[in-house]
Amino acid sequence: MSTPEVTASPLLGQPLLTDEDRARSHDRSRVQHARRQRRRWRLMWLLVGPGILAMLGENDGPSMIAYASDGAQYGLGFFVPFIPILFAMAYVCQEMCMRVGAVTHRGYGELVLQRYGRVWGWFGAGDLTLTNLVTLIAEFVSIRVGLSYFHLGAGVAVALGLVLVVFTLSGGRYWRWERIVLGLALFNGLFLVAAILVKPHVGALVGSFDFTPFPGGGFNTLLLLLASTIGATVTPWMIFFQQSASADKGMTPTDVGHGRYDTAAGAVLAAVFGIGALVAGAALLSHNGSGIQGFAGAGFPAALKHVAGNAAGAVFALGLIEAGGVAILTISASTAYAAGECVGVSHSFNSSPRNAAVFYAANIGVALLAAVVILIPGAPLLSIALNANVLATVLLPVSLVLMVMLANDRGLMGAWVNKRSTNVIGIAVIAFVGLCGAAYGIDSFLQTVHLIGS
Amino acid sequence: MSPETPTTGAVDTPAAIRERDLQAQERHEDELIMHLERDQFVVETSRPVPRAPLSARAIAGLWALRVFVVLVSLMVIYTFVEQLH
Repeated sequence: MSTPEVTASPLLGQPLLTDEDRARSHDRSRVQHARRQRRRWRLMWLLVGPGILAMLGENDGPSMIAYASDGAQYGLGFFVPFIPILFAMAYVCQEMCMRVGAVTHRGYGELVLQRYGRVWGWFGAGDLTLTNLVTLIAEFVSIRVGLSYFHLGAGVAVALGLVLVVFTLSGGRYWRWERIVLGLALFNGLFLVAAILVKPHVGALVGSFDFTPFPGGGFNTLLLLLASTIGATVTPWMIFFQQSASADKGMTPTDVGHGRYDTAAGAVLAAVFGIGALVAGAALLSHNGSGIQGFAGAGFPAALKHVAGNAAGAVFALGLIEAGGVAILTISASTAYAAGECVGVSHSFNSSPRNAAVFYAANIGVALLAAVVILIPGAPLLSIALNANVLATVLLPVSLVLMVMLANDRGLMGAWVNKRSTNVIGIAVIAFVGLCGAAYGIDSFLQTVHLIGS
Repeated sequence: MSPETPTTGAVDTPAAIRERDLQAQERHEDELIMHLERDQFVVETSRPVPRAPLSARAIAGLWALRVFVVLVSLMVIYTFVEQLH
């Protein structure tokens, strides 16, 4: 770690204190005070954050467009019950991340690198950087689409995204960053408002929980929908983010119970808001998805305006801006954590930019790089946006396998290792994600090279 | 370490003021240390954890998964590029 902030502790035999320690200790003092005073809601308020941010951060622009596309093309049927199942899968993965972060006080990237070797650590960071960059481009596309409803251009989208990143980083405190992003993330509920504004048939919504009608169309289309919907729910950046953020927040094994509530609350909110986007998109089903042709998912707000009125279109557009904005903050943060952890330098929001230059540079740099891409004239933005989730799904199994290995590492986790049931579910999730991603990748490739018919 | 600043009855000389400030700072640092678990300190988390022994089967499995994932990723990227045309 950087030395300038370090001061000698006055207590003999106690560790040296850094500014990062001081800030984290301040946060922990409030948690301990609330716990001593048995103030349950206060304790919950202090300990929520990483779980909700990971889940609502993943309800990002491409994900909400994917859900709305599912609704517009296939109606409520299969996908309404499928989304909660996917978020239940996400809960299993993210609970492991939170638990490993709280018990070891270390991020995913550094643990993989130190425990299993540099090759696996750098592979993971490479996967993350690639998927994060592609996804960040998609987030800027999402903001641009939302703003275009209000006749604002790409320049405003870029400025808005970058200002958000710089503003949230400016405080030099994890707590401040987390609370600002949490406040913004709650506006993901705009998709629920959009769903209400399209006046869905409640009976049809409830009836859709029997998984029917099953989506029609070609095998490849179904695989694409499955892969992109899975990619809208569980991704590599969430794994890096929640473990690192739990450690940065200062969570300890005594907080694991609250961490589970936090993760579960995030999963429930994300599933409800995701279904909201799907229901809003389903309003376009009877219109044959007319509005989404050409500009594909990008035309959703305008199409909704024609079907359900200006308010529904405007709320959906604002939702896309929010979803893109929050995801830019969380995905940039996950890149920054990974960069700091793999290089082996300070990687905390509680460190100053002077003492954590790599962390802050990666955070701003990756967002800046994605922003530059969307300003390139003629760049295939929509294709990038639609393929971002698929790429994340394909690369996810390696990250998940290493996460399960960490969560079963008794040398690191002691009594907090996975239970047998968690391992069974975790392995089933990995197998399902891997099969869907691989099936789509292989099937699409064979069609592209004309080895099989479409 | 005394919890209270000693009262000497003497006037506040610069040296006495410095001493009081130092003691206040020390008390503050003591309190900070109490709120963190020992393995939460930056100086502790900066120490690498020992390398875990992986069996040959585990290493082979990880490599097989890695190669498979890279191959499928290349297929997805190739398809994506072809679709652009």
